[in-house]
Amino acid sequence: MKGGLTSSSMRRKGTPVLPDIRGYFGEFGGRFVSETLMSALLELEKSFREAWREKAFRDEFRETLADYSGRPTPLYFAESLSRETGGAEIWLKREDLNHTGAHKITNAIGQALLARRMGKSRLIAETGAGQHGVATATVAARLGFECQIYMGSEDVRRQALNVFRMKLLGSGVCPVETGGKTLKDAISEALRDWSRTVRTTHYLLGTAFGPHPFPLIVRSFQSVIGQEVRRQILAKKGRLPDMLVACVGGGSNAMGLFHPFIGDESVNMFGVEAGGRSITPGEHAARFAGGSVGVLQGTRTFVLQNPDGQIENTHSVSAGLDYSAVGPELAYYRETGRITFDWVGDDEALEAFQRLSRTEGIIPALESSHAIAYGVRLARSMSPGQIVVINLSGRGDKDVMEVSRILESKGEAGS
Amino acid sequence: MTGRTGTGPIWRRGFSPPPFIPYLVAGDPDLETTADYLKMAARMGVFAVELGIPFSDPTADGPVIQAASQRALRHETALESILGWLSGIPPENLPPLYLMTYFNLFHHMGVERFCREAQRSGRIAGVVIPDLSFEDGACYRPVFRAYGINLVGFVSPTTSPARARKIVRESRGFVYYVGLMGTTGSALTLTDETRRIVRDLRQWTSLPVCVGFGISSGAIAREILEFADGVIVGSRLVQDEREPDRWKKTFEEFVLSAGKGKG
Ligand SMILES: Cc1ncc(COP(=O)(O)O)c(C=O)c1O
Repeated sequence: MKGGLTSSSMRRKGTPVLPDIRGYFGEFGGRFVSETLMSALLELEKSFREAWREKAFRDEFRETLADYSGRPTPLYFAESLSRETGGAEIWLKREDLNHTGAHKITNAIGQALLARRMGKSRLIAETGAGQHGVATATVAARLGFECQIYMGSEDVRRQALNVFRMKLLGSGVCPVETGGKTLKDAISEALRDWSRTVRTTHYLLGTAFGPHPFPLIVRSFQSVIGQEVRRQILAKKGRLPDMLVACVGGGSNAMGLFHPFIGDESVNMFGVEAGGRSITPGEHAARFAGGSVGVLQGTRTFVLQNPDGQIENTHSVSAGLDYSAVGPELAYYRETGRITFDWVGDDEALEAFQRLSRTEGIIPALESSHAIAYGVRLARSMSPGQIVVINLSGRGDKDVMEVSRILESKGEAGS
Repeated sequence: MTGRTGTGPIWRRGFSPPPFIPYLVAGDPDLETTADYLKMAARMGVFAVELGIPFSDPTADGPVIQAASQRALRHETALESILGWLSGIPPENLPPLYLMTYFNLFHHMGVERFCREAQRSGRIAGVVIPDLSFEDGACYRPVFRAYGINLVGFVSPTTSPARARKIVRESRGFVYYVGLMGTTGSALTLTDETRRIVRDLRQWTSLPVCVGFGISSGAIAREILEFADGVIVGSRLVQDEREPDRWKKTFEEFVLSAGKGKG
C-alpha cells in the first residue's frame, strides 16, 4: 500500500462499530421477526462471528472466490465511454466477470460455507433478477445442499433464462403469486419457509437487508469488492477515486463497494435507486425519494408505504432493484450524509444499457445500467483527471430478451 | 401480574369464561359482519378475541389469513380507522379485544399515539405483534405499560428455556405459545414437547398460557386444554369468515369444546 494512505480500518477507529450489539445502525436495523426465527438468527450471528475470526474460514472463503468465481475481478478503465462522455475518467469494477455473472456469488459462497459449518442440509433463497437465485443454486450444487428458490411470478416471466439455469443446477423454483409478484413477495415466502424448516435450513438472503445479522454478514462478504478496488486503483493511479457509484436494490453491491472507503473523506459515494416510470406510488422503487421510515421483513429502514402504513408495490424495468425497502446500513449513511442517493428511471437505464454495449462491448445488467447512467451523468460534470468508479454489478445476458421486447414495443429495435 | 389492566379482561387461571380466543380479520368480508361476530363472541363470554388488522405483507401467516387480509384491505381497516370504528360499538357488544397485526402499522401510527388512542377508546385490552421481537420490543414495553395496553409475549418451540423465562416475565395479558414451527394455518400435531414446554411456562408465570397456530378442530382444542390455559384459533375460523352461518357454527363448536376443557 502507498505511503501516507492509512487503511480505512485504521481511520475508522474512534467511530462506532456498526451494527451495534442489537443489530442497529443508528436507528435503523434490528430483528423484527417472529419468535420462531429468533433462535436461528442468534445462532447465525454467533456462528458468523466465530467463523469470521478464524483464519481457516477466511482462507477457504478467499480461495473459493479466487479459484471458483475468478476473483479478483478487474478494475477496467472505460476509455471509449470516458471519451464519449467527456469529463472524468470512468472506471468499471467488473463484477460481471464473476462466475454466474454478478456480485451475488460472493455472498452465496460465504453463506453456504457458513451453512455447512452450522450443519444445515438445505438452502433457501429469494431472488428478483434471478442472479442471486442462480448464485445460490450454484453453490448448493457445488457443496451438495438441497435448494429451493422463491421468485415472484412477474420475475419468473421476465427472467426466464435464469429460471432455467436454476433448474439446470438442480434447484427447485417456486413462483410466488402474492402482492406485486416480485422480490418483496419472494422474501415473505422465503421467511415463511424458513419458519417451518429453520432447524435444517439456512436462509441464504441475497442482499444487505433483512433482520440482523444479515446486513452485517452480506456486507462483510461483499466488502471484498471495495477492498480490491482500493488496491487496484492505488496500483494503477496511485490515488483513491473521487467518486464511487453503485445501484441499490437491497444494497449488497453498494455496501460491498462503499464500506472499505467509509473512512476516506475524499471519496464521495452515490447510491442509485430505480426511478421506474415516474416517482409516483407503485411506479418506482426509489425508497429515499418516495419512502419513509418503517419496518418491513425484519428491519427498520426506509420503506415505500401508503398513508396507512401498508407497503406499496413497486415498478422497475430491472427486477433486482424492484423492491419496496432498502438495507438499513444505507439508510443510516444517508442520514449521516456520508452517502448520497439519487435515482435513474427506466428509460435512462435502457439507454445506458445500449450505450455501454456500443461503446465498450460490455452488455451490463439492467440493475447495473442504472449505475452506469448515473456515473456518466456525474463524470460529465467533473474535470478530466478525476476518477469515477462504477460498480458494474452484473452482466446483461439475462436481460437481453426483455430489453429486445421493450425496444421492439417502442419501435426502436435494431436502430 | 394477572391478565388485568385498566381496560383489559379480568382473566386469571381457574376463571370460568370459555378458554378460547378466536382470531378474526377485521373487515373480512366487511366491517358489519366483523361487528356481528364480535357481538356473538361477547355474548358467549369468550375471554378474548384477537382482532387482526390487515397488513399488506403478513410474513407469519399462511395462505388463508393472507387471502383474508387482502380482501379486508379493500375496506376502511387502517389501524386508526379501526380504533374509531370500535369506539362506536357499545361496550356490551364487544369481548375483551387484543389487536393483532404487524409492527409497521403501530410504528407508522406512532406507538405512543396508538396507545393513547387505544386507552381513550376503552375498547382495547392489549396487542399481539408477531414480528416485534423480545429484543426490539424492549424500548416499547414501557410505553404500552404506561397506557395499560397488554403486550403479549410469544414463545415458540425453538425458544430456549432461559429465553422463555425472560419472555414470560415481561409478557402481559397472557402468554402466546406458538404450537408449531411455521406459519398460521399449518396443521398442529401435539407432541410431548408441546406438553413439556407449556408445563414449564405455567410454572414460570401466573399468566394464562395459551396455545395458538394450527388448531383446526374442537378435538385438538380439547386435547390442548388438558394442559394449557387457553387455545387461539385463527385460520380454521377465518376460512369460514365470508359465510356467517358457517362461521357461527364453527365458532359454537369451538366454544363447546373449550367449555369442556378445564377453564
Ligand atoms: C446484477 C445485479 N446488480 C444489483 C442488484 C441489486 O442488489 P443489491 O442492491 O443487493 O446489490 C441485483 C439484484 O438482483 C443484481 O442482480
